[in-house]
Amino acid sequence: MGITARSLLQTLVVNVAIAACLFSSSLALAASCTEADAEALGWLAKMSRSYREVAYQGVVTFQRGDDLQVMQIARSMEDGRSRELLTRLTGQGASVVRMDHPLNCTHPGQHLLLLGGLEQAPDCALAKYYRFQVGDGDRIAGRQGVRVQIQPRDVYRYGYILELDRETGLLLRISTLGRGDQVLERFQFADLHLGEPRAQQREVQTVHPARHPHPDVPDSGPALSAPWQVSWLPGGFTPTDSAAASSVRRTYTDGLAVFSIFLEQLSRELQPGEGVAREGSTTSYTRGMRLSGQAVLVTVVGEVPVNTARMVADSVRMVR
Amino acid sequence: MTEQLRESLSALMDDETNELELQRLLGRLGEDDELRQTWIRYNLARSVISGQPVGRLNMDISQRVSAALAADIEPAVGMWQRLSRPIASLAVAASVTAVVVFGGQQLYQAGVPDAGSAAPVAASGVSAVGFVNSLGAVPLRASYGNQAMPELEPAARTAYRELARQRMYLYMQEHAEHAALNSPQGLIPFARVPNIEE
Repeated sequence: MGITARSLLQTLVVNVAIAACLFSSSLALAASCTEADAEALGWLAKMSRSYREVAYQGVVTFQRGDDLQVMQIARSMEDGRSRELLTRLTGQGASVVRMDHPLNCTHPGQHLLLLGGLEQAPDCALAKYYRFQVGDGDRIAGRQGVRVQIQPRDVYRYGYILELDRETGLLLRISTLGRGDQVLERFQFADLHLGEPRAQQREVQTVHPARHPHPDVPDSGPALSAPWQVSWLPGGFTPTDSAAASSVRRTYTDGLAVFSIFLEQLSRELQPGEGVAREGSTTSYTRGMRLSGQAVLVTVVGEVPVNTARMVADSVRMVR
Repeated sequence: MTEQLRESLSALMDDETNELELQRLLGRLGEDDELRQTWIRYNLARSVISGQPVGRLNMDISQRVSAALAADIEPAVGMWQRLSRPIASLAVAASVTAVVVFGGQQLYQAGVPDAGSAAPVAASGVSAVGFVNSLGAVPLRASYGNQAMPELEPAARTAYRELARQRMYLYMQEHAEHAALNSPQGLIPFARVPNIEE
């Protein structure tokens, strides 16, 4: 009994020492972040972790202009693996399911958010591209939110207002803001239950198993006859996976925004030109041009401003 | 260049051409270098007057001409801009709606374009789309990502807009596969897919 108490005490002392050490080191390393940035990045990391730690079920709305979709989403965890399900309740009868995703598997986008919340060496890289502000949030789906306002520091990305669940860090609402703080798109929970979801049968015609492109293994998707490269990216964007040099697709993320580039080799000459289509926060920018004597169509699809898509498409080169 | 062509060009800028004239003019724009240069100068002047950054109009025009034009017009811009911005913007908006409707097939060309003029030339900032793009691969100076839609090449505008829409539908699900693992909303990026496929 006495020994147990003493070892417990020793353990406590050691833990306190480690905690103090972490605290001071994090203070030193976080110096480049402002206090507001550090607080916000801590919340973003908590949000990112919540995807590994919280099981839930709920109804969400997704709004783009006049279009409002209602969906059910659920997430459960078992044996170190998660299962996610999204079912459309309006419009198309379709579900997307992600089975058996290892909890310790993080992708570059999540990784970028987790880095900002590290106690030992918080990475403030995201604060180079966004300005953050944390405040009291709204009550959403019966839960009290914390508001994280995110403003871009350059013209290459959109702004966001996030509302996170104060208790778990779950993303309760996210609004994507374009020019003049115009809301381009809003996702939000209408109803949320924490804990393992109860099985609920919904009638759907289409069930799509979400793919799992491995961050480090090149996918074996369709390929072009020649390798190509992107010679300009907005700051802070990194590849989401190890797409092969001749893959028809490349995808990049800064942790909050994602865009993909698709390259098509054409068999016939196309009149050079460019075109844009937009839906909510998604931009599709297509350009027909010649690269190394080959007629190509470059398309950038993603949640970035038109100008960013255009700049990126402009920088695509064939590798000789 | 004939006086008639010059007048047609002015009419095009003011959205006052009829369909036949428009077809003829845009055909000539493709071939006639001098006419194209004039069109570019008209657009540049219109840009400056309406207070848009000159960089947005993509100049295949020499720096000297561009500077001379800017020097001529810019001092007057402040007052002019304040008084007339809505009207001037409308005029520009009207001029860019003057387009020829191409079917997708019509984007395909019978002849092979001159590789020299069509290939991107990063150094001068004039890229594949010729005069409609001034950006090249250099980082952006004047922004329109957060401002207004970029001005697109008039001739193929409609066909390319349709192409961009089709490509968005075609590629959205593939994009969502990656966005779902790399943005904060979990599977929600799939909500952007118009029609989820198995």
